[in-house]
Amino acid sequence: MDITSLTIKEMRSKLDSREISSPELTKAYIDRIKAVDGSVESYITVTEEGAMAAAEAAQKKIDAGEATALCGIPLAIKDNICTDGVKTTCASKMLENFIPPYNATVMEKLEAENIVMLGKTSMDEFAMGGSTQTSAFKKTKNPYDTSRVPGGSSGGSAAAVGADLCAAALGSDTGGSIRQPSSFCGVTGLKPTYGRVSRYGLVAFASSLDQIGPIARSAEDCGIILNTIAGYDPHDGTVSKNPVDDYTSKIGMDMKGVKIAIPAEFYAEGIDDVVKKTVLAAADKYKTMGAELVECSMPSLKYAVAAYYLISSAEASSNLSRYDGIKYGHRSDITGNYNELITASRSEGFGDEVKRRILLGNYALCSGYYDAYYGKAMALKQKIREEYNEIFGKCDMILTPTAPTVAYGVNENISDPKKMYQADICTVTVNIASLPAISTTCGYDEKGMPIGMSLIGRMWDEASIIGAADAFEKNFDRIAAKI
Amino acid sequence: MDHDMVRYLAKLAKLSFTDEELEQAVSDMTSIIEIMDTIKEIDITYDPLKDNHNVYLKDLRKDEAKPSLPTEKLLQNAVQSENCFVVPKVVE
Repeated sequence: MDITSLTIKEMRSKLDSREISSPELTKAYIDRIKAVDGSVESYITVTEEGAMAAAEAAQKKIDAGEATALCGIPLAIKDNICTDGVKTTCASKMLENFIPPYNATVMEKLEAENIVMLGKTSMDEFAMGGSTQTSAFKKTKNPYDTSRVPGGSSGGSAAAVGADLCAAALGSDTGGSIRQPSSFCGVTGLKPTYGRVSRYGLVAFASSLDQIGPIARSAEDCGIILNTIAGYDPHDGTVSKNPVDDYTSKIGMDMKGVKIAIPAEFYAEGIDDVVKKTVLAAADKYKTMGAELVECSMPSLKYAVAAYYLISSAEASSNLSRYDGIKYGHRSDITGNYNELITASRSEGFGDEVKRRILLGNYALCSGYYDAYYGKAMALKQKIREEYNEIFGKCDMILTPTAPTVAYGVNENISDPKKMYQADICTVTVNIASLPAISTTCGYDEKGMPIGMSLIGRMWDEASIIGAADAFEKNFDRIAAKI
Repeated sequence: MDHDMVRYLAKLAKLSFTDEELEQAVSDMTSIIEIMDTIKEIDITYDPLKDNHNVYLKDLRKDEAKPSLPTEKLLQNAVQSENCFVVPKVVE
């Protein structure tokens, strides 16, 4: 087996037994990136020199017998997570030359474990999109079929994991941006509970919904990474002081007696038949493992996309007001007064989708429209939370498709924002309700494209959904992308 | 969603559009607002008392001065700087 397709757990064992070294592993990824990434376009920046130096440092720790879980493991980082001294573009012309003067807290935590950062991955501009085709730099392709999208917004991270261009990656998830690309690229992605992982240094899109999480080749690997990045951070007031669990503690869990909810609305009109059938077949598989399937309902799902876009765009319009071209970011050459300079800088720096979200956010918050849109969306947020609470009163976890379709062609949907937004129906309620959810592959369509299912857990109970996803993965033959 | 509304929203957002871009924005926004309008059919009201129960003001950290980043690092991303951020003249 090629060392680039191992799981983190397998790499750890080979690194610790000196079967392979971290520099050797890192070099194998760098070589593969050079050979393959021209067609996948998953990385915006490859940090070859830094990666090799980090690998040498990690190897010293390994040789001294001081290696921790992620020591010497080559990872990719989504390009909206600040990396001290390494360009962080958010896939936007606005931040094309932005070099953060500090590390995000997750980077501090990963560097303390001596990980090897291979580079920064492409994404939809400012994480706004589900295809990675709004990236100003690299319009990433799906490793299973390069004529299709990898999903988004963490499409670069998911494609890099799926194409064996890193051991695992970090993404961020505001309305499905970790889970949906993981589904499209045939890998496993975890969106942690809101407040489980610090957002300090994550370029803000919608602050009440954004959360950083791992994308990997297995649920167990997601748990290993979460163990490192979770926890309290004085720099982010929304991070919980709840103790950090061992998120691999339920690996190998017995599914007997576990109650899995199947909410009817997630399997209704608008979800492709092949997706529905495959996810329901996965539910049956859980049943044969001893789990109990419980039919249930989430009546507010039909309003969820609207509520999500109103809340996230309202927050985005405020968060993105910081880009004035003066302190950092693109500054227009057009000379004029203060307002003219800011307007020109923003108009030149932001792409079309980002502008649409800002306009929508301003509309939702406008005097005269606030109650009808933003106020109603916030009321729906409360209703969706209540409906989840009701389900969790009777069940342990919820099983849904991750996306209504498999990955679509690179030129489909892009010019139709309405169609793009509606495709988020399966994922947005999880962010609205602050819950954790994991997506893993549960089958392939007739053309071999991966189909993902999501397990949604109670707040702070990442360990159970990781355990349940692992139980499925152990009984499932994953077909790797042939790139 | 008409042209005047998009122009107004763009002004609030400090964005400018060419005539062609404005036409496209009006068409896109009209289509997007159609989805947003679906929430008008549900009759519910936001209850502020139900939210923010996990915000504990007594847990706030002490307001202590900590070392800040060096000036040159903070200015490294400014396109124009002279040991400070440079803006167009605002006072005559």
